[in-house]
Amino acid sequence: MEKETLRLLCKVNQLALTEEQKDSFLKFMDAREADIKALDAIDTENVERMVHVMPIMTVVREDVEKKLFTRDELQKGAPETMDGYWQVPRVVE
Amino acid sequence: MRYETVIGLEVHIEMATQSKIFCSCSAKFGGEQNDHVCPACCGMPGMLPVVNKKVVDLGMTAGMMLNCHINRVTTFDKKSYYYPDLPCSYQTTQWFSPVAVNGTVTIETSKGKKDIRIKQIHMEEDAGKLVHDEWTNTTLVDFNRTSVPLIEIVSQPDLSSAEEVVAYLERLRSLLRFAKVSECRMEQGSMRCDVNLSVRPEGSDKLGVRTEMKNMNSISAIERAIAYETARHIDALENGTEELVQETRRWDDIKGKSFAMRNKETAGDYRYFPDPNVMPIVIDDEWFAKIKGTLPEFPEVKKARYIGELGLSDYDATLLTESRALCDCFESAYAECGQAKEAANWLLSDVLNILNKKQMTPDQLTLDGKTLGKLIKLVTDGKVSRPNAKKILAEMFESEIDPAKYAEEQGYIVSSDTGAIEATVREIVIADERSVTDYKSGKEKALMAIFGKCMKALKGNCDPQTLRQMIIDVINSI
Repeated sequence: MEKETLRLLCKVNQLALTEEQKDSFLKFMDAREADIKALDAIDTENVERMVHVMPIMTVVREDVEKKLFTRDELQKGAPETMDGYWQVPRVVE
Repeated sequence: MRYETVIGLEVHIEMATQSKIFCSCSAKFGGEQNDHVCPACCGMPGMLPVVNKKVVDLGMTAGMMLNCHINRVTTFDKKSYYYPDLPCSYQTTQWFSPVAVNGTVTIETSKGKKDIRIKQIHMEEDAGKLVHDEWTNTTLVDFNRTSVPLIEIVSQPDLSSAEEVVAYLERLRSLLRFAKVSECRMEQGSMRCDVNLSVRPEGSDKLGVRTEMKNMNSISAIERAIAYETARHIDALENGTEELVQETRRWDDIKGKSFAMRNKETAGDYRYFPDPNVMPIVIDDEWFAKIKGTLPEFPEVKKARYIGELGLSDYDATLLTESRALCDCFESAYAECGQAKEAANWLLSDVLNILNKKQMTPDQLTLDGKTLGKLIKLVTDGKVSRPNAKKILAEMFESEIDPAKYAEEQGYIVSSDTGAIEATVREIVIADERSVTDYKSGKEKALMAIFGKCMKALKGNCDPQTLRQMIIDVINSI
């Protein structure tokens, strides 16, 4: 992984990593990339796609409306809010 | 050179559920900003989605209505894109195994019938709403719509004109409203349409450069957008006015033009991968049969039955079958009163009038058909006059009443004492010498004046035909 890619990932995910942590993470990612590339050698022709690692199915719930949280509770940790909206940097020109 | 237009549609339909697709928040349209939200639908870390069963029910229903194959194992996938209206930075949708695939919808245009192939129907969550605030130069985010359940119906590029697109959308709307999958109201955004369009020389089997148009909120806007975009493509090919590129364009209906929004993303850009938080949904035989058993009779089958078996006119049958709620009410009313034409008349005139005044659509009708049938029977049996029955109908929209009991309480039961009625008529006729003279000299209108007075005196409790004849008889006898 490129250093620049990691910098962007940290930015969008709001992660503050030290230089040491960044180096360690880049090494870790390079190793994983090598592991994944090893899989390319396997012939997967005619192998049915695995939808989940465990042979289990989802549970479903009934269509019942419930109000479990107030807006104020949810916005407690928000850096910026305005009139009940989350406020973010302008995304269009 | 002659050109042909090749169009494929992606239609998003908001499903008629109470709660959202992966959490229990309200799925209602509108509301105060961020009032229908919880940690799951606003993307707080660690929250896990739980699938709403009704969404799968409606997804299957839509698939069956559009003659699709239902995938018995259907899965959710993550579609990545970064934008503040999507709090998780991915949309949970279906890519690898959508709920329904390979269907057909038959449309009818001036050129006859045509089958439009459906590639797939997938279930997914809607995104939130962004408001761009000029004053603070920031973007404000409302997550009320986030995770409201949608189905996306993807057609093959089988459509070739605006007329076909309109016929296709109207057919989809009719089928899905009938099956109660959605209200499909374009003005509220519960039916949205993206148009993929390209142009190629007639007879060519190679597709031209495709553009996708968004932001169309009415069928007439879609027609205008297709006409504009087709002309733009042909102009570019014929006269080299611009280079066509694969892109997403925004339709501006006021300016009557489309504008480039962004280069079209391809599937690779979205990095689809199976969502590890939602396990596969397995639709067993019992679940499948249950949904199959709830499918309604198709509107055109109903219409033919109404005309052939019940003797309704083509016009009445067409109007009734535009709404499932009207059909349901009509059928219950007919079962109760046994008179199809009367039931249709009451629904299509009086009931629709009331709905109109209340600014409600026929699909919002909740009137009990059986009660309406009882009211119609009171009128056809001559027990309640039509004007009084209209008053009872108005009351039926306000509270749960039994028409016969209510008519009795209000004194609306037609008097069977003809002697008493005749005495009232005779009294009025004798007192209104001028109208009698006018009538006798050939002025038919004069009869109406006497009729009005009599009806008022009798409080409407008399059959109009009987009363009219009685007035004539009394006039002739004096």
